[in-house]
Amino acid sequence: MSALVKTLHPDEKIKAGNIGKTMTRAGLGIALVFFAISIILTLTGSASGGHDSKWARFFHAYLIGWSFIFSLSIGMIWIVILHHLVRGRWVTAIRRICEAMACAFPIIFLAGLGFMLPLLFGYEDLYYWAHHDAHNEILNHHLLHKLNFWLTPGFFFVRYCFYGVLFSAIAWYFMKKSRQQDESGDPKISETLRIASGPAMVLYSVATCFFAYDILMTIAPKWYSTMYGVNFWGSACVGGFSALALIVIGIQRTGRLTHSVTAEHYHDIGKWMYSFTFFWAYTAFSQFMLQWYGNMPEETHWYRYRMFGEWKWVSILMVVGYWAFPFAILMSRWTKRIVPSLVFFAVWQLVFHWLDLYWNVMPSYDWNIAYHGATKIVAGPLTGSVSQHHVGFSPVDITVWIALCGVFLVGVGRNLKGNLIPTKDPTLPLSLAHEVQ
Amino acid sequence: MSAENAEHHAEPGDQPGKAREAFRDVTRDVAWVAEAPKPHKAWLAALTIAVILLSIGVISIYHLVTTGIGVWGNSNSVDWAWDITNFVWWIGIGHAGTLISAVLFLTRQSWRTSINRAAEAMTIFAVMCALLFPLLHTGRPWFAWWMIPHPNDMGMWPQFRSPLMWDVFAVSTYGLTSVLFWYMGLVPDLATFRDRCAAKGDKVRALIYGLVSLGWRGSARQWHRYERAYLILAGLATPLVFSVHSVVSFDFATSQLPGWHTTIFPPYFVAGAIFSGFAMVLTLMLPLRYLFNLHHIIKESHIGAMCKIMLATGMMVGLAYATELFIAWYSGNLYEKFAFWNRALGPFWWSYFLMISCNVLVPQLFWFKKIREKPVIIFILCIFVNIGMWFERFVIIATSLARSFMPSMWSYYHPTRWDIGLFLGTIGLFSTMFLLFFRYVPVIAMAEVKGVMPEAHAGKKGH
Amino acid sequence: MANTHDNHEPSDNDSEPVSADGDLYGVLAEYDTPGELLEAARKVRDAGYTEFDTYSPFPVHGMDEAMGIKRTILPLVVWGGGFTGLIGAVFLQWWMNAYNWPWNISGKPAWSMPANVPIAFEGTILFSVLSAFFGMWILNKLPQVWHPFFRSDRFGKVTDDTFLLGIEAKDKRFDQTSTTKLLQDAGAIAIENVFLETDPRRKTMPKFLFAIIVSSTAFALIPFAIAAKARNSHSNQPHFHIFPDMDFQPKYKSDTADDLFADGRANRGEIAGTVARGQLNADDEFYRGLAHGTGGEPQWTTGFPKQIEINDALVQRGQNRFNIYCTPCHGYDGRGLGAVPQRVAAGGGAWPARNLVEGGGVASKMPNGQLFNTISNGMGTMQGYAAQIPHADRWAIVLYVRALQRSQHAADTDVPADQKGSIR
Repeated sequence: MSALVKTLHPDEKIKAGNIGKTMTRAGLGIALVFFAISIILTLTGSASGGHDSKWARFFHAYLIGWSFIFSLSIGMIWIVILHHLVRGRWVTAIRRICEAMACAFPIIFLAGLGFMLPLLFGYEDLYYWAHHDAHNEILNHHLLHKLNFWLTPGFFFVRYCFYGVLFSAIAWYFMKKSRQQDESGDPKISETLRIASGPAMVLYSVATCFFAYDILMTIAPKWYSTMYGVNFWGSACVGGFSALALIVIGIQRTGRLTHSVTAEHYHDIGKWMYSFTFFWAYTAFSQFMLQWYGNMPEETHWYRYRMFGEWKWVSILMVVGYWAFPFAILMSRWTKRIVPSLVFFAVWQLVFHWLDLYWNVMPSYDWNIAYHGATKIVAGPLTGSVSQHHVGFSPVDITVWIALCGVFLVGVGRNLKGNLIPTKDPTLPLSLAHEVQ
Repeated sequence: MSAENAEHHAEPGDQPGKAREAFRDVTRDVAWVAEAPKPHKAWLAALTIAVILLSIGVISIYHLVTTGIGVWGNSNSVDWAWDITNFVWWIGIGHAGTLISAVLFLTRQSWRTSINRAAEAMTIFAVMCALLFPLLHTGRPWFAWWMIPHPNDMGMWPQFRSPLMWDVFAVSTYGLTSVLFWYMGLVPDLATFRDRCAAKGDKVRALIYGLVSLGWRGSARQWHRYERAYLILAGLATPLVFSVHSVVSFDFATSQLPGWHTTIFPPYFVAGAIFSGFAMVLTLMLPLRYLFNLHHIIKESHIGAMCKIMLATGMMVGLAYATELFIAWYSGNLYEKFAFWNRALGPFWWSYFLMISCNVLVPQLFWFKKIREKPVIIFILCIFVNIGMWFERFVIIATSLARSFMPSMWSYYHPTRWDIGLFLGTIGLFSTMFLLFFRYVPVIAMAEVKGVMPEAHAGKKGH
Repeated sequence: MANTHDNHEPSDNDSEPVSADGDLYGVLAEYDTPGELLEAARKVRDAGYTEFDTYSPFPVHGMDEAMGIKRTILPLVVWGGGFTGLIGAVFLQWWMNAYNWPWNISGKPAWSMPANVPIAFEGTILFSVLSAFFGMWILNKLPQVWHPFFRSDRFGKVTDDTFLLGIEAKDKRFDQTSTTKLLQDAGAIAIENVFLETDPRRKTMPKFLFAIIVSSTAFALIPFAIAAKARNSHSNQPHFHIFPDMDFQPKYKSDTADDLFADGRANRGEIAGTVARGQLNADDEFYRGLAHGTGGEPQWTTGFPKQIEINDALVQRGQNRFNIYCTPCHGYDGRGLGAVPQRVAAGGGAWPARNLVEGGGVASKMPNGQLFNTISNGMGTMQGYAAQIPHADRWAIVLYVRALQRSQHAADTDVPADQKGSIR
């Protein structure tokens, strides 16, 4: 199409300077403060939801917040790999930031040890399949035979490490080569990355799906859905692109990249947010409608918890807030191009993305219902009503989330050094001149 | 794409008239196919074969409608077989056309302009072939009009909660949208044909082309709204493509049959549709490119890109297979596990084997650049992909039905000559329509090609 | 400067309309490259012209801005269409499936929102597409198969490779000399004046085309006319069947004659040695009134079967059934002077019905089971009522008969205290 090119503006500030350090310090501060608050809240609280340990709530919140930050990097790795795979043009101006977000994986995986190590060393109150009661059930319940092999803490941890190493390696490789190109300007590097992106995309896709099955779907070990991995990935990309918008605009506030990243790039980030919002809604609806329609008890129990009682309102809120409202407003051209509106929707979608993960995990929190079948409806997220069964709302849910966002900032800040833009990438001039039609 | 745009470094504005010569070349190269007084021998030969196949189809339809569904191999267990396999196969093929038109447009892939017209035509003809099957498999197709809600003295309305009704709405919307989108793209090119015929004095043709081109005159004010409508239709066609094949997949996934009831069907079917559709596009375009010397319009890089898309979507399909197998085991559900064991090792193991080799193994060859550069090999591989995707639907449908919940219902399936005849007939219908299209309608989107050529920016300041 | 004035006089024999020039319609300027056309358009707009347009074989990038073309309202039209489609599809499904004729389909709720989403989605897309497509042509004022600029041969090359800029003479700033100069200064490689057609014969639609339109409209109305006639007329003829194969089916319907079986009937009796499901009726006491014997001959049961719960409701039921089936002969008091015997006697005949309540009578001495059997199978002139009265109801009648018998021989002491006042 348009063959316009532009060179990097001579006055453009492209060096990260100390924003990386600032972000890391801020992130660390946030993480420490909010973890401290969470721990205090947990210690002064009590056990709930049929769990023996009072830390169950903390660990569930940790799992949700951790999956949240993991998913942001998942979305970013995807766009980096895709960009190289299809020889894209428009992303180049912001690709270094995407790479920085993707390279947060090592820190994220270290943070994940916060709940994986307890699990490995015998903590039974996070995943039901790790609980000794579940093993007793195997004798009676044919659905749980996989506990014998697939869902044991040891093998689970091995897989966790595998995902950690794989995603970190892919992210590191693409970042390293990209920085190498800053030095040498060698166009062959682009070709190398293009060839690497094929296998990388294959490994990425399989690993992401299995990650979702392992970390999130096994929270409800009797339930299954082949769509789960794809649905998780769609939601992850909504979060990833929203976080990207915020970080890019934040960097521009410090006076960097003000000429290189334009309303055209905002427009395209907005388009991805929009498309993935729709894609998430498509996968989530398909999964729901098919299990609703088939009406098979081994599948519908998961949805039954989310369709009745107080969780019904959360589900409706998700439809309206995670899909309908952003879909209607982001459709328009200008809402994607101006900073206040893009920032608003980025924050909005990040909150709802977290809520999506919360909705996926928390209805299974109360084991009295999930595994001892006490009632048909799960205790609500706000009041926790339904006799003794308790989900309710706890500030720990939020404080742990914020703490982990701080960890994410540490992970990203570590990578914001040197050039904030791939200066010698051959597609950079096209990206700088990029115009959305 | 950066390698593509390396071509733009020529400076066409330097020589007066050079840019216009490039545009004239495009017009001539495309128009001569339609204006040749005698059709090409290869075209006539192909048309003859196509019409013979079509006649077989007509006879099969006549026999079916006058006698009944019993002439097919369908039974009480395997009550959907070749009929629905063919339906899904044809619809899937149609999706590539819309993808090329709409999605490649939205992602600004300018190479689409060399193939989008033919691809859109392919969509329309594929949908026509596909629609025959749901219509005929009802047994009493003369009652099909009852699916359209209309007031009647029985107060009877369609049952909208059924996926089969969703199909009616989805596929008709898709067919109509494809026709409208295709026609809209055609109007400027039909105007070109009108003007060429008028200049040559061919009044009859000029009148026909003139009427169907609606008096298009290339006015910028009209181009403005036209482009906007094109963008909007492309933006609408994209979710439509997703929704149509998702709705088709709902036909199966909303049931309770193991092997059918699984939540990943919608995106899996869409990926599969794009996969088989691109294979069909290449199956058609490669011979035509060779016979009609379109090498400089349908370039090697375009073909390479299409091979890569097939590789990607083929791998998505492979991922879906792996996911189904994993979750079948993970679920612990006896019937699910059996369904997949049976697919690979039961009486239809040979179709499963064909499916895996053609859909998972064959596309792996597209990793290799050497393969992507050889049209003959690509052509053969695409045929395999088409066969593999046909077998994928057959495996899903027939294998699952032949071994459903009650062992007393287990059976095997054999197609009859009338199943085969109808399928051949749809191939004949498709080929006939496509060949006629090729001869009488501008087969490449001239206006769009001109719009993305580097010469389109000739004479502009600041280049 | 090319000039296509054509001043031929119409020929004498008038068989072929000939082009003739009228007033100046406008000026067409040709440019070599899209870039030059763009610049020219900018200059023309800056000079204040409004009635002008550019013509190109493809949309020139940047032309909208150069010419000052306002953004079209088409997206709003599409939005409106899509919204209409959405509301329409949702309403259609709700009204037809949940309100007007709700069916129970596999237990799904009548208003099945998840099941209604796909069609709602397709409806939205369909109406959006139709609005976009037809909206665009309408806003573009197409089809418009003729435009004055088509009189120029050069104009016919726009769809091939030519870039033109046309200014209409009706523009306020139009002036033959200055306008032409402006276009030339902008780099035109050719300028042409285009004049309006004057020959009236060339300005009207050809007759044959008009004939085609009229006749095809007329033909298109025929099916509707047939339908209207059919809906508003009466006929004594049977419907005609286009595909008769399932309307006249080669099967036998019940209670018809046939020549397939020796007895000439389509109905087949019960097959010997079989029992229909639910008709085994093994319980002798309940179904036949026979006591479960200790061996030897079966005897009539003297009590009631264990399925029968003796309570007031059963007596009421018995009374209800007795009044329906038994009173025509036996009378409301059970003395055998019902309407039928009285009528027959009035006519001089005799139709004796048993007195069920006389002390020491046959009915009083019969065990319950035998009473039951009499109701079922009849006795003497009484027919059996097994076909009309289900087993449980027969037991209710037995209970009521016993109540009647007791009531006709009751003593003062049997009357409840609170009812004593109502006895005379």
